[in-house]
Amino acid sequence: MKISSNNNNSLFKYNNILSHSNVFEFVFIIGLIALPMLISNSYYRDWFVMAFIMAGASCAWNIIGGYAGMLSIGHAAFFGIGAYTSTLLYVRVGISPWLGLIAGALLSTIAAIVIGRATLRLKGTFFVLVTIAFCEVLRFTAIGWRSLTFGSMGITLVFKKNFFNMMWQGKTAYVLLTFGYLVFVYVFNKIIEKKKFGYYLVAIREDQDAACACGIPAAKIKTIGLMISAFLTSIGGSIYAQYVMYIEPDVVFDIMISVQLILIGILGGKGKAFGPIMGAIIIIPLSSFLRGSLANLSGLHGFVYGVALVLVIIFIPEGVYGRLYRFFNKNKKNIKNHVEGVM
Amino acid sequence: MVSQIAQLIVSGVLAGGLYGIISVGLTLIFGVLNLVNFAHGEFLMISMYISFWMSEIFNLNPYMSLPIVVAAMFVFGIIIQSIFIRPVTEASHEVQIVITLGLSTIMQNSALMAFSGNLRVLRTPFSESMIEIAGIFINTQRLLTFTLAILATIILYLYLTKSYFGKAIRATAQDSRAAKLAGINVPFVYMITYGIGIALVGLAGASIIPLFPVYPTIGWHFANIAFVAVVLGGLGSIPGAMVGGIIIGLIESIAGFYFGSEFQQAAYFIVFIIILIIRPTGLFRK
Repeated sequence: MKISSNNNNSLFKYNNILSHSNVFEFVFIIGLIALPMLISNSYYRDWFVMAFIMAGASCAWNIIGGYAGMLSIGHAAFFGIGAYTSTLLYVRVGISPWLGLIAGALLSTIAAIVIGRATLRLKGTFFVLVTIAFCEVLRFTAIGWRSLTFGSMGITLVFKKNFFNMMWQGKTAYVLLTFGYLVFVYVFNKIIEKKKFGYYLVAIREDQDAACACGIPAAKIKTIGLMISAFLTSIGGSIYAQYVMYIEPDVVFDIMISVQLILIGILGGKGKAFGPIMGAIIIIPLSSFLRGSLANLSGLHGFVYGVALVLVIIFIPEGVYGRLYRFFNKNKKNIKNHVEGVM
Repeated sequence: MVSQIAQLIVSGVLAGGLYGIISVGLTLIFGVLNLVNFAHGEFLMISMYISFWMSEIFNLNPYMSLPIVVAAMFVFGIIIQSIFIRPVTEASHEVQIVITLGLSTIMQNSALMAFSGNLRVLRTPFSESMIEIAGIFINTQRLLTFTLAILATIILYLYLTKSYFGKAIRATAQDSRAAKLAGINVPFVYMITYGIGIALVGLAGASIIPLFPVYPTIGWHFANIAFVAVVLGGLGSIPGAMVGGIIIGLIESIAGFYFGSEFQQAAYFIVFIIILIIRPTGLFRK
């Protein structure tokens, strides 16, 4: 009984909404939306839109890959389901992408239940392998099922400016839409972090056997985590399709999407709501710049992703924001065992 | 009808042998180093490129260059292991996965930068030639690949069970700490095992170059099949990986015939999920 007074005190300190890290995150996010609104150059605005989409999707990946420590390499599957569902519903049936986005998210959630049921009671390796295989199967199905998906030709959306069609002239609306998506996923993560559910996920990551011994239904919690993650990733995919207006199986179901999500998560700091935002804002402009300035050398930006992945995991495994976070909360050593993104 | 089914089974088994040899390398590395090698497919791609360029530049036919490719891949595997994988031997699973995934991305995109994304085809007299046995047509090149794969698996199996160093590898796989206590140079075993695994992929790559065009992302497709085959056979089991590969080959050829080639992958994935639910340790692991 005596211990609790001390604990309460430190927890209270941690929950303080005006902690250094929270203030930093808030200011950073305000800056993130202010910058593209002030810049009128649409080339640079495009960087922000892509960074927002990928950051949002990576935040969604973070729920299962960061908090729960289940490294999914097949998250492109959910991204692709979102992109294809909303686009196909719009092109084939004329349903608004706003509804298609929800439909895609629900489909992804169902896929997540299947994957979760099959693998999440097993060791991590099986989960990783199944997520990859699942993504690959979807890619081949999207290529092969020509009568529905147009095969590897892909689908081009015809531009018809309309709120209902989720298409706008200029980039301002897209900046706001993708920023809205990012903030939605980020706030969702922040809430999970503070809820019992988030603590369950972290407990499972740190020691699954111990977590089970404490009465946490690990397989169930992980499945729910994967469902939420799939739902949110899929929305990112739908928005991506609406922004780029062209999707093909080899892009949206490609392993490079998954690699990007993982890299953004790990570079920024996984297991932290804010980590992926930081990661995206570093890597997306860098790779866009490389792609733009050295266009004749295709493969260079992928090469940079690979090198970054290896270097980051060796030298700063807790991520850039993980480092910063520790710096901000330096004087709170007594609560160090709280939700930390360090592996 | 009967001959049709026999034809399907034969071509399935022949394709399966190829998947099997790729899976054997993967499962060996997993069993000993406890590492899922996500760069496995990229080693296949690189060995195909080596074989291709040897033929283009030195006019060396792929059957002649096969031993050179295998030896080169063995050395290449050892180098990659020493630089990238040895430092993270003790690290968590996640770190190892991310490292090999990063390696895979690096190799794939390096190939894209160096050789562009064009499909490169190398034809040999055996590529199209068929032999007919009792009404069943067999592609000579596939038969050759299959024979090489089975031979290599048997030799590897004998090496692991009979030779002194093979026993050291198996001892390390069982318990690396106990092996270290018994005086086995564990880091050396890790290095050689990784080299052997990559050499097996090199063998597969060099023997399929007459059949498949080579391009930077080809490895990913085969690696995926190998992941499924390895889980089917039981992670770490060498005969299991071979049988798992052959099962996938059979599923692919039968499903491809009855449901159309688009749904081959979907078929083996469904089998994969069912196996995971009813027998998650794979078919052959006790």
